[in-house]
Amino acid sequence: MSGEEEENAAELKIGEEFLKAKCLMNCEVALILEHKYEQLQQMSDDPMNQVSQVFEKSLQYVKRFSRYKNPDAVRQVREILSRYQLAEFELCVLGNLCPETVEEAIAMVPSIKQRIVLDMQTKGRAHDDDAIERMLNDLSLIKKFE
Amino acid sequence: MFLKVQMPWNVIIPADSLDAKGLMLKKAIVIRLMDEFACKKATKDLGYFMAVTSLESIGEGRVRQNSGDVLFPVVFSGITFKMYRGEILQGVVHKILKHGVFLRCGPVQNIYLSHIKMPDYHYVPGENGIFMNDKHSKIDKDVIVRFIVIGTKWMEAEREFQALVSLEGDYLGPVS
Repeated sequence: MSGEEEENAAELKIGEEFLKAKCLMNCEVALILEHKYEQLQQMSDDPMNQVSQVFEKSLQYVKRFSRYKNPDAVRQVREILSRYQLAEFELCVLGNLCPETVEEAIAMVPSIKQRIVLDMQTKGRAHDDDAIERMLNDLSLIKKFE
Repeated sequence: MFLKVQMPWNVIIPADSLDAKGLMLKKAIVIRLMDEFACKKATKDLGYFMAVTSLESIGEGRVRQNSGDVLFPVVFSGITFKMYRGEILQGVVHKILKHGVFLRCGPVQNIYLSHIKMPDYHYVPGENGIFMNDKHSKIDKDVIVRFIVIGTKWMEAEREFQALVSLEGDYLGPVS
């Protein structure tokens, strides 16, 4: 990352180190934090006193903003999205926001539509509308059968 | 975005909590690490510190000459939260002013959406003022809003981030 001015998640410019870092969807974070919280509950009577404010606020947030609650569904969402050669960051934005239409998906993650012909690496992963449509259908099926 | 990160850290264990049998050492390190992690709250590069998920490795302890404390270099995995410019997120409105609204998103408390960045919406004064557009879509307290991040600022003294967000874009605004 050369300068902060250049950061732009819409174009997937978020710094080398974060592009490779594993991103987590809200529903995955909810599972991890809830598990942590249960562990604390077993150790103390007043677990909310044991956790930091950051933990508490985040737990509230991810509980409210998780589209999938069931651990199996959460796993399936990541598995299905992983089939579409998305960057970690793109995968999680889609899993969090659950767009309903192709147009909405592209508005949320503009980089999935980007076709940079000059760059051989990105050439192969440009998604056409059909592929995006298929992906959204797969996601809505998980939600339906959860 | 929530991130799973792996980071090195130096944990200092006071001499009096060192156990001769060494059985409690790992526990002492984890407890110390979690305490420090929670105190530190956030860093500019990694964002807010949420939780320690696992201790990956414990290096060889070094005794500090003057105090007798032992310093252990460790590597652990944890979860952090960081906002990126251009990222689209959802937050909850917690304060409404004439010139804009404040939102919360994850651990971030100070997210400002100026009225300039939501041109369709106008302020409707009242006991509890709200923002509304011509299609009667309302931005009221506790409403969920989908926004795009246009800038973040790290406040060193408070160890917190502030963010400016906007509704200028497709599919942004209050979510029912």
